[in-house]
Amino acid sequence: MKKYVWPVLILFLYASPSSGGYRETFQKEFLSQPWAGEERIEESVCVECHSMEIMRPDFRKVVDEWKKSLHYYSSVSCHSCHGGDPKDPALSMSHIRGFVGKPLKKEVPALCGKCHVGIMKNYLESGHGKALLSGKGPDCVTCHGSHNIQKANIDIINDKLCSRCHSYERAMIMKQALFITEKKMADIGEDIRKLRTSGVFTGDEEKSIFSIQSEFRTLFHTIDVAIVKERTDGFANKLGLVEKKIKETFEELGFRRNFSVFLMILFGALSLVLILLSRSGRD
Amino acid sequence: MLTRIRDWIETRIGLNDLINTGLRDFRVPANLNIFYTLGFVTLTAYTVQLITGVFLLIYYIPHSGHAFGSVNDIMTRVPYGWLFRQMHQVGSNLMTAALLLHLLFIFVGGSYKKPREMTWVTGGVMFLAVLAFCLTGYLLPWNQLGYWATTVVTTMFTTLPYIGEVFAQMLRGGNHVSEITLNRFFALHVALLPLIFITFMIFHLFLIRRTGFSKPPSVQSVIEDRALTGYRREHHPDGYPFYPYFVIKAAFMVCLYFLVMFFILSFFPASLLPEDAITPADPLKTPAMIRPAWYFLAPYQMLKLIPNKALGMTFELLMLSVFLLWPFFDTGEERNILKRPLLRWVFIVSFLSWLLLTVWGRY
Repeated sequence: MKKYVWPVLILFLYASPSSGGYRETFQKEFLSQPWAGEERIEESVCVECHSMEIMRPDFRKVVDEWKKSLHYYSSVSCHSCHGGDPKDPALSMSHIRGFVGKPLKKEVPALCGKCHVGIMKNYLESGHGKALLSGKGPDCVTCHGSHNIQKANIDIINDKLCSRCHSYERAMIMKQALFITEKKMADIGEDIRKLRTSGVFTGDEEKSIFSIQSEFRTLFHTIDVAIVKERTDGFANKLGLVEKKIKETFEELGFRRNFSVFLMILFGALSLVLILLSRSGRD
Repeated sequence: MLTRIRDWIETRIGLNDLINTGLRDFRVPANLNIFYTLGFVTLTAYTVQLITGVFLLIYYIPHSGHAFGSVNDIMTRVPYGWLFRQMHQVGSNLMTAALLLHLLFIFVGGSYKKPREMTWVTGGVMFLAVLAFCLTGYLLPWNQLGYWATTVVTTMFTTLPYIGEVFAQMLRGGNHVSEITLNRFFALHVALLPLIFITFMIFHLFLIRRTGFSKPPSVQSVIEDRALTGYRREHHPDGYPFYPYFVIKAAFMVCLYFLVMFFILSFFPASLLPEDAITPADPLKTPAMIRPAWYFLAPYQMLKLIPNKALGMTFELLMLSVFLLWPFFDTGEERNILKRPLLRWVFIVSFLSWLLLTVWGRY
């Protein structure tokens, strides 16, 4: 054994100096930082400047709010709405690069409508949209906020918010018309979550429900109760198809569990037989 | 009919003689415990991997645009595809665990000592091959889990001085894990690694047949009753025939192996399918908590703890070399670990450290 100690020691001593100071910068970063990526956020000069101490508090607050938003989790960054070059400080607020600072009230629907096309169309045709063009109506920000955008649900229609502009009664009728479909969509969302925790890929179901949800909420922006009621059956049918598929998947999971239990019992019984066989052989 | 077939084969290859000399005349020590069958369990586990792997190969598409979808099709559309896929997935972990236990038992029993050094080394190489199987197989479903775990493990190699970067680039086929990496890992997983593993397995089994089973150290305090000067097989005249004595014991352990496998499939089917495993790989989106599979957690955590990464990686490779060549370092005749306090403590400390680092790496 002793004769191997020296070669090992020499090998180890070789390794130490050869590794000393090797790519120090890389090493400092390697594995000592979380792998999770905030890199795309840090890359944005908008976030960099707006996070500085010298920035006005209300400007600085924008970054904190955005980091809590659905947009942040969906990788929608500052330039996606406000334009500009997020990588170049000099051009970050350049109008040539399409920079829009704080949009005018009338410009807000167009800004959000860059992505939410269908909703913008229905909104502009609605009473809310028409009122905005006349200078009095609510824009997107009035109900959804600006930077801390959260996933909208039926609870956004509430007394406190709606009665800022008009009585809650009409809004409540709309909420009632939306309730059944919204409830069904929420239930399906919960089932999808359960399937995912059971290790099932639910990409197709998620796409279907996202598409139905978007279409339904687009419709809501018309704020026309009659239209919503008229088309509720159509949405119910579409949701029914997704529900059926999810139900089948749950049944399939049940079958898999039963089949695995059967195989488990089979091998358990075989083990017992083998124990008996080995004992009888010994006797 | 069956008798006629048996007679037909008997006339041509002498089946009875083969069974008698190969299975009945080959004797094993009388007081073998079930841990002696772990090698057999590993062999069965590999066979399961081979069979289920061939089934998966029929439907799997090794292309970054289709790999995830094809695995999902196996799970949902191919009849009983889920069973083969989950058996392959759970089986890979169980096989690694069985092999680890086998190695531990051989180490504690001192069964690696003269004349079984080559048996240990071939076993060690097979263990590395299994780890390589796991590493390459992890990427194939092309999900977030596999993609980023491969990124972490291949980046670990880059810390090695001089050759690390070249090796990692060779493995990945570039600076990042990509389509090229998927193709390389696929080729390694289904062609090269099985060839290496089976070659070493045949050699391993040949060595066991030639040297015979080692007696438990409690029975024999020194490696042989007399000095080993020439080739000599341990015949165990006071032992039992390999068949049926050992085969029944091994078959029991194999059943236990399947029992554990189907227990996991029944009650914890999603244990190896976390959120990232059912999300397609996205090179631009790093998941929040990414780490390698459990068998790589100890070296991963150790590398995190050692400030100089190159030194850490060199140290790990050095330890691996010592582990592989251990029979050539430990040449003393005493096999019983209970009579060797230093080795006993080295073993306990190493094992507990491995356990601690694995748990630490997980959380």
